[in-house]
Amino acid sequence: MNNSLKMVVVLTVISALAALLLAGVYGATKQKIADAERQDFLKGLTTVLPGFDNEPDRETMTVDGNTLYIGKKGGKIFGYAVESVSAKGYSGNIKILVGAGVDGKVLGIEVISHAETPGLGNKIQDKSWRDSFIGKTAESNITVKKDGGEIDSFSGATISPRAVCEAVRNALAIIGKAGGAK
Amino acid sequence: MKLSILTEGIFKNNPVMKQVLGLCPTLAVTTSAINGIAMGLATTGVLMGSNVAVALVKNIIPAKVRIPAYVVIIATFVTLIDLSMNAYFHDLHKILGLFIPLIVVNCIVLGRAESFASKNGVFDSLLDGIGSGMGFTLTLFVLGSIREVLGNGSWFGLDLFGVHFSPAILMILPPGAFIVLGFMMAFNNFVEERRRISRGGAQ
Repeated sequence: MNNSLKMVVVLTVISALAALLLAGVYGATKQKIADAERQDFLKGLTTVLPGFDNEPDRETMTVDGNTLYIGKKGGKIFGYAVESVSAKGYSGNIKILVGAGVDGKVLGIEVISHAETPGLGNKIQDKSWRDSFIGKTAESNITVKKDGGEIDSFSGATISPRAVCEAVRNALAIIGKAGGAK
Repeated sequence: MKLSILTEGIFKNNPVMKQVLGLCPTLAVTTSAINGIAMGLATTGVLMGSNVAVALVKNIIPAKVRIPAYVVIIATFVTLIDLSMNAYFHDLHKILGLFIPLIVVNCIVLGRAESFASKNGVFDSLLDGIGSGMGFTLTLFVLGSIREVLGNGSWFGLDLFGVHFSPAILMILPPGAFIVLGFMMAFNNFVEERRRISRGGAQ
């Protein structure tokens, strides 16, 4: 009896100390983590809405349940950004951020999260490849060259670029609706 | 004599090459040299913390509940490292984020707590944690380097061979991890066997 009581007390004390320590560190790092995540997101927005001078992550509108981030320059709307997900990645979802100007041309894309193979599919993060979307519109043939489109794929990795193309097309459709609603 | 505790974990008793522990992170994260080092150092941090903590409390923990107690201690250190990495090394955390929580179930950490720290003093346990962690880091670094060079033609992200090099993509994929680790262990055994023979030891 005495022995089992000791077990309970020791485990409880250890767990309580652990909880206390974790609560302290969580509180101390919470703000920093939130800041780092927001900086990350703003960095992504800078790529897809170059030159904005407002806070697009705080100025948003909703179209068909999607959140659109509004990019303004000198108080004038010049483009929209929207998150877009393709489930057709090689391993799991590919989440990207697409920005397009009010004329419907792509200003840039950024990969937010993916689980593609390192060294192969993860080349979708390369800036030079992402930049090949710039200037495309909803009327462009945004598919990989293997499918008769305008976008390069990588040797050994066609699935990931194909999924990104799908996500970009969806994003342009949403942004197109935002322009029409205005 | 203390130094032998340190070197034991790096060479003679290397967690991956000799004890064949912690293979999940070993195989999963070593697609590049930097990933290997980062994972190794994070694990070293946990090992040092958990070994010291276990050595401190070993006498007050009843034998029957020592494993749950160790797991709570280890999980606490892992979460601490997870949170601080996320706050201060955010970009690195984005790459390794998925694997950091897995350190909790890395058998190296529980293995050292159970087989070393629960029987030795605080300072020796700290040395053992550093030694085992360094051995783990070294193995992951070599494995990651070989896979990155062969499979991606680069080292620490630097392109080594120019555009005409066609990398062996297999090495970056999961099978490459098994193949390279197999060769590393074979090489390690070969070297030790040769050394044993040259010292005059009988076959």
